[in-house]
Amino acid sequence: MTAAPDSNNKETQAYLPDFCAAGTVFVVVLIAELVAILLTLAAHDTPGLFLVELARNSLFILWLAILSSVVMCLFRAKLESAGKSRAFVLSFLVLELLCLILAELSYQLSLFFPDFIMIHDPHYLFILRTVAISSIVIALAMRYLYISSEWRRSIVLEAQARISALQALIRPHFLFNSMNTIASLTRTDPQQAEEAVEDLSDLMRANLGGSGDRTTLKSELEVAAIYQRIEKLRLGDRLSVRWDVADLPMRALIPSLTIQPLLENAIYHGIELLPDGGEVNVAGRRDDKFLEITISNPVAEGEKRTKGGNQMALANIRQRFELAYGSRATVEVQDSGLAYAVILRFPHDENIA
Amino acid sequence: MKVLIVDDEKPARDRLRTLLEDSGAHEIVGEAANGEQTIAMSTSLSPDIVLLDIRMPGIDGIETAHHLNALDSPPAVVFTTAYDEYAIDAFDARAIGYVLKPVRRERLERALEHASRLTGQTLNELAGDARIESRRNHVCARIHDELRLIPVAEISFFNADQKYVCVHHSNGEDLIDDSLKSLEQEFAEHFVRIHRGALVAIDSIKMLEKTPDGKTRVVLRGGTQEDDNDPNDELIVSRRHLATVRRRLKGG
Repeated sequence: MTAAPDSNNKETQAYLPDFCAAGTVFVVVLIAELVAILLTLAAHDTPGLFLVELARNSLFILWLAILSSVVMCLFRAKLESAGKSRAFVLSFLVLELLCLILAELSYQLSLFFPDFIMIHDPHYLFILRTVAISSIVIALAMRYLYISSEWRRSIVLEAQARISALQALIRPHFLFNSMNTIASLTRTDPQQAEEAVEDLSDLMRANLGGSGDRTTLKSELEVAAIYQRIEKLRLGDRLSVRWDVADLPMRALIPSLTIQPLLENAIYHGIELLPDGGEVNVAGRRDDKFLEITISNPVAEGEKRTKGGNQMALANIRQRFELAYGSRATVEVQDSGLAYAVILRFPHDENIA
Repeated sequence: MKVLIVDDEKPARDRLRTLLEDSGAHEIVGEAANGEQTIAMSTSLSPDIVLLDIRMPGIDGIETAHHLNALDSPPAVVFTTAYDEYAIDAFDARAIGYVLKPVRRERLERALEHASRLTGQTLNELAGDARIESRRNHVCARIHDELRLIPVAEISFFNADQKYVCVHHSNGEDLIDDSLKSLEQEFAEHFVRIHRGALVAIDSIKMLEKTPDGKTRVVLRGGTQEDDNDPNDELIVSRRHLATVRRRLKGG
């Protein structure tokens, strides 16, 4: 991978591939060498001298390829500023010019070192052939690089868009119920109403804030605790949450807003539908390099988790874990019908700063 | 007007009580925290209006409203809801009384004024369209003046007995007002029609057996029908329904 997901702000605006990156240069060299092989194969009368001919073609084409990469690396920023389609036309012209210069240089060199560089074509024909072949190859190569960088970019963009869209989505059901509770408390218990407003504000701030960033376990657990306090006002004795997280290193990093939405799911789909309520269990374990957090809740008999909200929150968390950790993190669901658990397992990273 | 307040959350009940007491136009006859309480209190206190929360554990608001309908003079129902994306439109379309939480005084008063009686049909459509997943978990039998809720999970079969439908469940038999046709639609997932007048819970079927005169009949788990007076007639599978019954038993 040429671009790590977090260092991607600049990358997402670029439309020319990054020719300074080793990956891109490798692809360019690979294409160049394939073209050299193709040209050598296509030459009709040199069965015995295949390798010699290939070496010669490679020499020319690799020079061109590497110089092109250097030029593109140097002038990328300038070319980008010209706008998308112009940037491509300009790059194409610059590369063609480069090719023309190199072809002319080779021809001149062949006059001086006829033993070393043999060119059978007349001057103008050689130049014309070189330019024609190179323009096709350059156009194809640029198209290929453009599409593959576009594809990578779209994946990152899509993920980011989805994250921000979903993060903005605090469950309306929760918001309006909380407001109703606060309206009620304003009369019966103004002090508690005050605290509820403060808690709700903190929660909203957390929801609006960290879009896709990672946060410390400490602050993530705080957000979840605030959420629990608000729900507790509404559900009273029906809700209890057991926090078994003493094992976890509080400075460890976790994608923000992962525990809170899972706690929300556990309450919305589990506790709220149990006539006598129940206990949500948040348990944390650690081993060598991984942390594991399990959020589990009892489920009312016959209740099925088919609701959109639950799937969406889970999919969101899965996606963000994948983005942050690749295949090193897992989000597992255990559903026995009477109990439901989500198990997050992710690498133990700490904030160095 | 006598009003019964129903919500599983205390602050929400308090809020409605405060608003109603402020206006002073209505008498609050009680507060209920769940569907069962609501049905019991509606029977004993006969309120004119029930302010009914939709999302409650156990028997939810819509199912409760269904059961209230079975009362002799059912109360008018005004639903309260925080946010049920799908429900709101359905409410509007059918002009069913509802108030959104946080409840506004004017909106509540208007809803109380306009409170109307809901029909079973409307409730069915509401449950269906609104996707509040309110397939009933109970059916409601009326015994004298009391409503008795029979958990659907305990029902082995329904059969139509002239005017009424009889529910056969683990604690006996009761008559209910629902038609066999509507029951069949509502519980299609778990029940199968075996002849024109009987609907059997698939899970309670032990096996099919041939009778001496060449017909097929259902044998229930627990064998309750051995005690029945006339088991053969009740649970004979008609030729027309035989293929379907076999398919459903195989899990199709």
